[in-house]
Amino acid sequence: MKMYKVKVNGKIYIVEIEEITGEVPQLNPEAAPAAEPAMNPTPQIQPISMEPTAPPVPPDPTPDVTVVTCPMPGSIMEIQVSVGARVKEGDVLLILEAMKMENEIMAPKGGVISRIPVTVGESVETGDTLIVITNH
Amino acid sequence: MNGIERLREKRAKIHAGGGEKGIREQHKRGKLTARERLDILFDEGSFVELDTFVKHRSTDFGMDKKEIPGDGVVTGYGRVCGRMVYAYAQDFTAQGGSLGEYHAEKIVKVQDYAMTNGCPIVGLMDSGGARIQEGVNSLNGFAKIFYRNTIASGVIPQISAIMGPCAGGAVYSPAITDFIFMTDKTSNMFITGPNVIKTVTGEEVTTEALGGATVHNEKSGVAHFISKDDRSCIEDIKRLLSFLPSNNLEKPPIFPCTDDINKAVPELNAVVPENPNKAYDMYRVIMGIADNGEIMDVQPLYALNIITCFIRVGGKTVGVIASQPKFLAGCLDVNASDKAARFIRRCDAFNIPMLTLVDVPGFLPGTGQEYDGIIRHGAKMLYAYSEATVPKISIVTRKAYGGAYIAMCSKGLGADLAYAWPTAEIAVMGAEGAANIIFKKEIEASANPQEALQARINEYEDKFSGPYKAAEMGYIDDVIEPQESRIRVVNALDILSGKRQSLPPKKHGNIPL
Repeated sequence: MKMYKVKVNGKIYIVEIEEITGEVPQLNPEAAPAAEPAMNPTPQIQPISMEPTAPPVPPDPTPDVTVVTCPMPGSIMEIQVSVGARVKEGDVLLILEAMKMENEIMAPKGGVISRIPVTVGESVETGDTLIVITNH
Repeated sequence: MNGIERLREKRAKIHAGGGEKGIREQHKRGKLTARERLDILFDEGSFVELDTFVKHRSTDFGMDKKEIPGDGVVTGYGRVCGRMVYAYAQDFTAQGGSLGEYHAEKIVKVQDYAMTNGCPIVGLMDSGGARIQEGVNSLNGFAKIFYRNTIASGVIPQISAIMGPCAGGAVYSPAITDFIFMTDKTSNMFITGPNVIKTVTGEEVTTEALGGATVHNEKSGVAHFISKDDRSCIEDIKRLLSFLPSNNLEKPPIFPCTDDINKAVPELNAVVPENPNKAYDMYRVIMGIADNGEIMDVQPLYALNIITCFIRVGGKTVGVIASQPKFLAGCLDVNASDKAARFIRRCDAFNIPMLTLVDVPGFLPGTGQEYDGIIRHGAKMLYAYSEATVPKISIVTRKAYGGAYIAMCSKGLGADLAYAWPTAEIAVMGAEGAANIIFKKEIEASANPQEALQARINEYEDKFSGPYKAAEMGYIDDVIEPQESRIRVVNALDILSGKRQSLPPKKHGNIPL
């Protein structure tokens, strides 16, 4: 969990930012202490300090994903990785039998295998998803 | 002030381009100025500038009060590694390097001189595009440049380097030239920019993602080389020029060969794996044949299933077209066909002998390829090989099947010397498929179809696979040991160096584009 200092209308708030993956949990209104409403019915223009007080933009919560697609029609001969495995760019992920050749399908980018929608022996077409890699 | 002082002052003012501030901005963007670039390109002190004092004649929109040093472009000639080359470099610091009527006229002049004198021309692009204040005059300027690019095509080598923006109609000058270089992160090319795209289709895209160096080198196939910065881009251009002749009436320069021309390369005997279905890296074969294993790869990031590169063998330039079994099994597809066909025509235009290394299981099957027109794209390769009159040498290292065998410089398409390694499989299709078709009825009627099929597969393999059937028919001139390949290529280049072949007189052929 990361903590940021946020300045709203001159008042400083400490906020914690947590990345949520998977299902979004129901927020308990009591769990998050409501920040004092910053709305001022008679907004006054306050001198704004030129110091960069804005917090850095939090990292994109949707992780970067690489989808490895099938380059040509064939069948899956061998799968050399499993879900959760960490791979480097250029690692062999699976062997695609096509054009009477055992073609090594390699990781275009490093990351963690998050999904393998194909099974050994399955026929695949050009463009089918073979493996999904989550890049961290 | 006397005349000489006046000249010096005038010249210095123009040489300063967009002034100190403009030059600082240019450097901040990671770019060199037009003159700094030309300094790297040309041998020291050899650059002669033309049209330094040319001015625009536009009077609309306050242009009459606007001074644009050199009208935004530096043109001239000089020596590159001792050889005469013409060049122009757009000056982004002067009015964004925008192209007006006289900016175009300066470029047209060096294009004409390069043509008349049979010298290569290098264009360094860094321009905001057409100078809008000059309206249709700047469009006509572009048209005159494109026209000359086309007429000069196949006569003198034309090289373009994109070293900044190159947008709209401007892209068509590089597109017509022989080679396009792009600098990483600082260059881009597109017909319509991100703003127009957003207005018309609502799609949001950055200039880099739309037309950056990576996009055009990996995806679109528009560019042929990517360089990390200005300096390395210009060094790459100089290296490329060393492989090319000055014009279509000359042969490429011959360099002193520092590698043994009588050398057997035992590593090559071990390149092809025992299992014929396993891939290997064709670059190993090319490096085994090339002098000192040195390669200048053209479009190394595009259509990886085929390799197109320049090497030297015995000091002489050779253009290599090679299947790459590591990618897409080395199949020919739409992009590979286009990449190869264009390369073959470059070699033929500039008297560069070609070496084709064949390991191709076929054309890539599938609706995608058929819908994309693999028929007309593949046809370009056959056309380009047939039409080429330079020495053509081919070596089948392993698979050579069906139409793809024909397309990869087979004897029938005019290979002067066609060799095969003992691992070669030259046939109309794989033994299993062939047996299934030829003996379909017999196999179905047999008591044990599986056994009957296997027997027929073995028979077909014995008869038609391997290099020997083709060699018996004379379609392969010789079956050679892989380790002899370099010696054989050296020898072939020697014996074919006097090759003379002319095509019937015609206006031009009708290549299926």
